[in-house]
Amino acid sequence: MPAKHRAGGATAPEPAQAQTQYRPSGYQQPSGYQQPSGYQQPSGYQRPSGAPHRASVTQSGTPRRAATRQRTRAPLAVAGPLTRAGWVTLTFSLVVALVTHGYNLFRYPLYLTDEGIYTEQAWSVLREGKLQPYTYSYDHAPGGWLTLAGWVGMLPRHFETFGDPINAGRVLMVVAQLASVFFLFEVVRRYSGSLSAAGLAAFAFSVSPLAVYYQRQVLLDNLMVFWVLLGLYLLARGSGRVVNAMGAGLALGVAMVTKENAVFLVPGFVYLMHRNLAGRTNRRFGKTFWWFAAISPTGAYMLYATLKNELFPQGMNFNLKEQPANHVSLLYTVWWQWNRKAQGQSRGGAFADVLRGSWLPKDRFLLIAGAVATGAIVMLYLQDRRRNSALLGCALLAIGYSFYLARSVLLDFYVTPLIPLLSLNIGLFWGRLTQSMRSFGTLALTLVLVVPPLALPGGYLIKYNDAHTHLQFADQYRLKMTSLQQKQLAWIRTNIPPDSYMIIDDDIWTSLHDKQPVYPNAHPHWKASSDPDVRDKVFHSDWRRLNYVVMSNRMRQAMEENNGGGEESWILQAIDQHGRTVWQLSKGNVELSIVKIETG
Amino acid sequence: MEQIVLAPIVVISLLLTVQAAHALYLMIYTWDQPEAEALARAPEQQAEPQLSFTAILPARHEEEVIQTTIDRVMRSNYPAEMVQVLVVCSADDTGTIERARAKIDHLRAEGLPNADLVIFDDGPINKPHGLNRALTVSTGDVVTIFDAEDEIHPDIFHIVNTVMVNEDVHVVQAGVQLMNYETKWYSAFNVLEYFFWFRSRLHYHAKKGAITLGGNTVFFTRELLQRIGGWDETILTEDAEIGLRVCVMGEKVRVVYDDRYVTKEETPPTLQHFIKQRTRWSQGFMQCLRKGTWKELPNRSQRALAWYTLMFPYMQAGLGLYIPIALLTAFMANGRVLFVMISWLPVLLLAAHFVASVAGLFEFTNAHGLRATPRAVLWMAVTYLPYQAVLMYSAVRALRRQMQGANDWEKTAHVNAHRSAQQVISFAGATAPASTAAATGATAPAAAGPAAGGAGPAPASVPIASTSPVSGAAAAAATSGPAETIPGNTITMAEEAGSRAG
Repeated sequence: MPAKHRAGGATAPEPAQAQTQYRPSGYQQPSGYQQPSGYQQPSGYQRPSGAPHRASVTQSGTPRRAATRQRTRAPLAVAGPLTRAGWVTLTFSLVVALVTHGYNLFRYPLYLTDEGIYTEQAWSVLREGKLQPYTYSYDHAPGGWLTLAGWVGMLPRHFETFGDPINAGRVLMVVAQLASVFFLFEVVRRYSGSLSAAGLAAFAFSVSPLAVYYQRQVLLDNLMVFWVLLGLYLLARGSGRVVNAMGAGLALGVAMVTKENAVFLVPGFVYLMHRNLAGRTNRRFGKTFWWFAAISPTGAYMLYATLKNELFPQGMNFNLKEQPANHVSLLYTVWWQWNRKAQGQSRGGAFADVLRGSWLPKDRFLLIAGAVATGAIVMLYLQDRRRNSALLGCALLAIGYSFYLARSVLLDFYVTPLIPLLSLNIGLFWGRLTQSMRSFGTLALTLVLVVPPLALPGGYLIKYNDAHTHLQFADQYRLKMTSLQQKQLAWIRTNIPPDSYMIIDDDIWTSLHDKQPVYPNAHPHWKASSDPDVRDKVFHSDWRRLNYVVMSNRMRQAMEENNGGGEESWILQAIDQHGRTVWQLSKGNVELSIVKIETG
Repeated sequence: MEQIVLAPIVVISLLLTVQAAHALYLMIYTWDQPEAEALARAPEQQAEPQLSFTAILPARHEEEVIQTTIDRVMRSNYPAEMVQVLVVCSADDTGTIERARAKIDHLRAEGLPNADLVIFDDGPINKPHGLNRALTVSTGDVVTIFDAEDEIHPDIFHIVNTVMVNEDVHVVQAGVQLMNYETKWYSAFNVLEYFFWFRSRLHYHAKKGAITLGGNTVFFTRELLQRIGGWDETILTEDAEIGLRVCVMGEKVRVVYDDRYVTKEETPPTLQHFIKQRTRWSQGFMQCLRKGTWKELPNRSQRALAWYTLMFPYMQAGLGLYIPIALLTAFMANGRVLFVMISWLPVLLLAAHFVASVAGLFEFTNAHGLRATPRAVLWMAVTYLPYQAVLMYSAVRALRRQMQGANDWEKTAHVNAHRSAQQVISFAGATAPASTAAATGATAPAAAGPAAGGAGPAPASVPIASTSPVSGAAAAAATSGPAETIPGNTITMAEEAGSRAG
């Protein structure tokens, strides 16, 4: 097998056109591509005497067409279909991804607030035919939870199929991850021609603790990554078909209405699309429909807002200091988000803080290697532009998203889409670095490369216990964090009447609203502090209307951070001045509690 | 109650969306399928001329263009002795007859004797009847049709000879292309319809074995035409109908669209003519559907494709009636966002069709050495919906005519808009002094003199050989009735009419 450990089964690049055009081994002449040529006088035909010479009767288009052909650039060279060795490597990569993401999936990590938000929105789609159970404020495009709703709708017991409702979404994340691994593997293999490089990229994408931690969570970013990689895969296939280009554009378009930060990948995508279609006879249609398909989902989203009369703010008032109280607006939200970024004072600082405090401790290997690979690819491109154009496109993707991270108001899970992009660049750079080696040598070197993160304590697989006395599996394969939230839920169901008025975190919302007995008056603190329908019509911002506050230390922290304008004051007042803790549980740095509000 | 009103609109919207998506795919079929595109191109290596051709030029009131067309066909690059040209006119069309006769006389004088005039004075006076009359006196191994205004490529016979010899096919549909995309407000879309139809969609139909052939630059072996019984004279789109009959027989149809070798045509000169042409086509499809040849196709997918194609005018008419209702309902459906979004899906596909048209315009102009400007695209954006409205109106008009039983042929006029003035003068110059051509209008040959007005007699100064190959062939091939051969270049027919089609 090592001898064939090159995609397409070939052992060396073909010499044809090797002077200027790099071809991965197993390269196939892209279909739909015409070699630049002028019209050839047919042989075997004697022109009748007196007939005008072809040049004088050739219709006027011919010379121009020939000239155009000569100007066109050759399409990107890509490797052919998977060989047997390729299938073996791919299958192994998929099994690894299934194990790393599937094992301990329902127990680690703790259910995140955002997981709860997207699950409750999917619940609303399925149960109420609405995009949110509360007022939809266009904070995110709905593609992600519409997908989640579609998935849950197919499950036999809907949200209850895997126990907690969030688990249904987590299973979808694993499915998305497996598909994403396939796409990533194929993109790297097609562009580099190296199975070892593709395997390395898939390894980093599936085994990195940073990846496992965030990719298990029900995040829009994970679904966005699926669409992005699908789009890249369709381009990298090199089939030359217009529908492929259209599908790639549509995938990016859906990615943008799944999580709007995909817009920062557009430059890299455009470059890759352009290079993939260059030189093909159908490039005009391919490019046109790529753009059309990429824009269409966003257009549909804007049409939705228009039909709801929520595209523009009331009175066309974009004044950020006077946020409209009773009228949501897509464009106002976009404007607010844009300026929110522009006004940030410590944005670079926030990036550095999250990098140091959250991302690097989870996986320094991936982040450092990914950054180095991306930079190195740019250098390679500057040295040989024709040969490294596909690599540059992939580097532009990572650079574009990094730009967003550096500029954005940052939450730690925003790193999620960067993980596959760094893995992609690692794989491509590795492929280029080892291209002159024999397949067996490349495979051996790749294995050497992945051993340290697996074998070293504090790496991907094992760590020392707190007392530093013996080795144990890493947190993601060992800890049972969600059991805390299950116990919190169990206590509620045993001790709190369903008609109680409660402030909760979103992670238990769907469970309380979907599973009998339901708690219709349980609302998240975000909505109780900011949504007029909840704040003013249900609670009237009055602590006396509250019976319980179900929270975690993280929720408490979020409430305090969100209280710049005093929005959460009435809830904090209820907890601090009128609350009595009736249940509490802690593990590590996680503390859960239930506070009863003494209104009597 | 509300749901009862809205549900059909949702269903129709979804069906229209699917139909529009499929139509869009057929528009870009050859660009999407690289192997189809490769097949569409003309062979680069041409075979030795082996097959002889009969080119039928049916003409009615084509005084302006007929001479140039005869000249172009006769002066093709194929060996002249292997090309027979038959200009077919009804006896009442004296203007065209005179112009054609004048041109044929000139050609004979130059030593090109294989052009003849076939005149019939029986009914029905329509194209398929003329074709059938000409078929009886044709002598070529292969019979083809060119419209009177066609500007054929000089190598077209070589291309078809090569394809038929190399691939053993009996039917070849070569590309036809309208060229004057900027002369009228509807020209660009009309040109692009041809472009997408011949460049892409027909290849799909040929591959599936259910093809509605075009009306010209289509080549049949004469043996096949005789076996199949010629064209159906009762159908307004006899070309589409004969295509289906060919498929029923299991004959493979080869479509060749190569930008270099297309037959060039012009868009109808006025909106009225355009509507009449569209009405005729739509009604012809309706007639084909009713005749039911499509039901005899061998397998279900072929029948479905043929039915779907022939049904299109009905769908277009239905769409014309549906759109106002959908728009009205959409604006009245306050708050029913999902419903409105579904009802807008066909609009998205309409936008996709427009985008494809814009890409197609650049593809077309690039292929033919023209240049599409942003202004042209802007103009397309302005005229897109009106153009769709005209198509729908034509479909509705066809439906009305069909229901009224009006089956007469609405003629499309031709004014040489696809030929530049230089080209026309150049061709005219081949038969007449340029000064006279200019004086009598670019298309009037000098020899015609007063005949340019349509009233003059045939020129008598050109010696006419009575040994036209048609003369002998006419007698031999007169399988459906006697053909009177007038000494010279005219064959006059006056006998039983009626359909020869099966």
